[in-house]
Amino acid sequence: MDTVGVYVHVPFCLTRCGYCDFNAYASMDALKPRYVRALLAEAELAAPDWTDDEVVSIFLGGGTPTTLDIADLKGVLAHLRDRFNVTPDAEVTIEANPDTVDETKLSGLLAAGFTRLSMGAQSFDRGVLAALERVHSPDGVRAAFRAARAAGYENMSLDLIYGADAEGLDSWERTLQETIDLAPEHVSAYALTIEPSTALGRKVQGGEVPAPDPDLQADMFSAACDLLGSAGYRHYEVSNWAKPGFECRHNLGYWERRAYVGLGAGAHSFRGDRRWWNVRPPEEYMDRVEAGELPTGGDERLEPSDAYLEEVFLRLRILEGIPSSWVEPERALPFLESGLLQENAGSLVPTERGMLLLNELVLALAGN
Amino acid sequence: MTDTSHIRNFCIVAHIDHGKSTLADRLLEITHTVEGRDMRAQYLDKMDLERERGITIKAQSVRLLHEGFELNLIDTPGHVDFTYEVSRSLAACEGAILLVDAAQGLEAQTLANYHLARDAGLVIVPAVNKIDLPAAEPDQRAKELATLLGRDEDEILQISAKTGEGVPELLAAVIAQVPSPVGDATKPVRALIFDSMFDAYRGVITYVRVQEGVLPSNARIKMFATRVESEAEETGVNAPEPTPVPQLGPGEVGYLVTGLKDVHQAKVGDTITLAGKEGASEPLPGYREPKPMVWSGLFPAEGGDYSELREALDKLKLSDSSLVYEPETSMALGFGFRVGFLGLLHMDIVRERLEREFGLELISTAPNVEFHVFKGDDEIVVHNPSEMPSGGDHDRVEEPIVYGTIITPADYLGPVLDLCQARRGEQVDMSYITPERVEVHYILPLAEIVFDFFDQLKSRTRGFASLDYEPWGYQEAKLVRVDVLLHGEPVDAFSSVVHRDKAYAYGKQMTERLKELIPRQLFDVAIQAAIGAKIIARETVKAKRKDVLAKCYGGDITRKRKLLEEQKRGKARMRRVGRVDVPQGAFIAALRVDDGGEKEKKK
Repeated sequence: MDTVGVYVHVPFCLTRCGYCDFNAYASMDALKPRYVRALLAEAELAAPDWTDDEVVSIFLGGGTPTTLDIADLKGVLAHLRDRFNVTPDAEVTIEANPDTVDETKLSGLLAAGFTRLSMGAQSFDRGVLAALERVHSPDGVRAAFRAARAAGYENMSLDLIYGADAEGLDSWERTLQETIDLAPEHVSAYALTIEPSTALGRKVQGGEVPAPDPDLQADMFSAACDLLGSAGYRHYEVSNWAKPGFECRHNLGYWERRAYVGLGAGAHSFRGDRRWWNVRPPEEYMDRVEAGELPTGGDERLEPSDAYLEEVFLRLRILEGIPSSWVEPERALPFLESGLLQENAGSLVPTERGMLLLNELVLALAGN
Repeated sequence: MTDTSHIRNFCIVAHIDHGKSTLADRLLEITHTVEGRDMRAQYLDKMDLERERGITIKAQSVRLLHEGFELNLIDTPGHVDFTYEVSRSLAACEGAILLVDAAQGLEAQTLANYHLARDAGLVIVPAVNKIDLPAAEPDQRAKELATLLGRDEDEILQISAKTGEGVPELLAAVIAQVPSPVGDATKPVRALIFDSMFDAYRGVITYVRVQEGVLPSNARIKMFATRVESEAEETGVNAPEPTPVPQLGPGEVGYLVTGLKDVHQAKVGDTITLAGKEGASEPLPGYREPKPMVWSGLFPAEGGDYSELREALDKLKLSDSSLVYEPETSMALGFGFRVGFLGLLHMDIVRERLEREFGLELISTAPNVEFHVFKGDDEIVVHNPSEMPSGGDHDRVEEPIVYGTIITPADYLGPVLDLCQARRGEQVDMSYITPERVEVHYILPLAEIVFDFFDQLKSRTRGFASLDYEPWGYQEAKLVRVDVLLHGEPVDAFSSVVHRDKAYAYGKQMTERLKELIPRQLFDVAIQAAIGAKIIARETVKAKRKDVLAKCYGGDITRKRKLLEEQKRGKARMRRVGRVDVPQGAFIAALRVDDGGEKEKKK
């Protein structure tokens, strides 16, 4: 019996943000009822392969899952509990955007069993929110957060993005401070990455918007480490901080290479030496499920060398590190000497500076 | 065999784009050598590269029959790199049409070739071309030419090769003025090779001018310089398609299929005679071994393509007798070749042919000249800057110099003189061809010309000045080797031999350029330029601080792994210099000479 996670993808959004390259769509609301039915049907089809496993986390991501009606969300979760062996203390997360929730909805979600709320705040600076094409305001974030607390949430995360055009170190530090003042249990802070296929990516290529300055983003990362660290958050993954005991169990599952099943358009699954993923377009996804088949769009078998590379890069992301015995000492030495790695109880763990250069570390340590 | 009194052998001396090939086309038409329906522009230029660049790389001859005369038009290579080839083509002629663009006037190269033709004793038939152009100043140009040649203005023909106007008169003048060749048919045959090429089907084909004796179609022949003997297979003439003839008599021009397989055995300037006792005992005068003037390292961009590069060079050598190369190993660029060229154009052509015809991607080091380094009684010949003793471990160094001829509009004289001074030139003399046009002579180090002199000359004179030069021996100079170091490791491909006074500028330029080209590494990378142990310039590429995938979202680990693998392949494609990873593109860009020119211009 494995402990596994279930991911559910909800591809609907109120608007499409310029930087986002996820499988998400605005103005496809008419598909919602059919999509929810498809999720239920897919769970039906997939569950038989997971009967021996114990589900310890469920994560509704997107898109914006809270664009669905509370009844639908409730139905999906109930159905998962019905078809999978979900442990009573399983972590159940739902992602929310500030402008899609109010206290009533939040109370309803909590009552339905969504006990962890991950809110996409991104920033407390109006200019930065505008640069990211977010539709909510800083006040909206504060209001939604307080509403969630009032509704009774005791495990909340705020998502932040740093390094957008027009954001300076000052602004970022204010965003961090505002975040700390709200006192969520968990904070994710991501360096803005420009994806070529996005609206923002095209603007950067066209020279309309400058690409993020990696040195400034490095300074912002350090600021996050400092401020969040002194506020009592533990830095447990490159982009994630949590009060002790509030690490995201579901995401840890990805990083610790535990099995998971993904439901919904474009969702990824993993078990053993196989990774597979559903077709991305929602229409195609629904057609496949309605035809009574698993909507798998592709898969891969991991060679031992692939698995090893994953193991190294994922373990280095979380502060578990890799056993020193995996790496020839002379490979690790320059990184230990230059302060990018540290040795900790027989493991090689990246330092704060090392985390920022993780790709280099991985290639050097896992290279052949 | 035509009676020599009815033979005229002539060439056309003209600057690039002054209409030589167009005139040749008209002559083919007027003499009905090519009928209108078969005509195509620049008929005689066979190689694609020639047509594209509008220049003739390989000389050719074509036989025109006109009013009982056999007219052999010998095309000459039109570039300073090929001065020796030009001189051999001229040696095959008795006369030359001196063709000048009515808008642009006399250019340095035309002047230089005119001097060559005059010195070779050729009769000059001058003509102003392109009189149909709106910008044409035919009378002005005729005056220029008349002054140059010491003739009356009305002796200068005015033609349009494009429309055909005046071309019949020009042809008549050639027949009337160019003397017929002289040669004794009873003597042992001596034929001058003025061009030699490799044909995939027929082997080595030489273009020859028979000076005396008779060259039969099938005979055992001998080359004087290479002492190679062979069974010749065919004599013929281009009319303009190859047409076999039973023999070539005195004064005649044509081709000989030699039966040889290697173009190096039948070199331009050599003499062909018959093997055995029927052969002549002495060659014709004037043979010279081709001598590379410019050297450059050629390396495959992908290290694995070394053997392909070797094969390509071996093949190219079959048709290019002036190509010289030897294996070279560079710490930075791996295995490749140090290749010698006649000049910059020759270098460009070879590189382009290697890339185009053989599909190779190449990195070439900055071109350099041959240095002579003296230490005690020893003399070392250096073709590669990295072989140059560093830090003054020698008594003196000599570098090749050239005698340069520049013709410029008088308005740009100042900038031209400035350029020549800046390039360590020594003025020989200066004279006004007309009040508007000046001819200047300078002794210049060849190394300075190799380093973007043409581009500079053109940009300072809006393209109006022209340059020609000929080798002028060697001269001592205060030269030093500047090395470029990455993180303390010298990069041999970036070493350059420059004049002491320019070392700092070179070092600064290279370090600044490399700073933009070398990606940030995990540590600060010092980019230094040094003479021996002395650092003369320094830049730093700051260590990179961020290289991490921010987000592993929704369990899509596959994509992240692929991104890492891609990054790993990118790293593998880089060259490693000490601890520094340098992308291929950085070598290519850093070694591109013309970029430096661009930068200078912008300042």
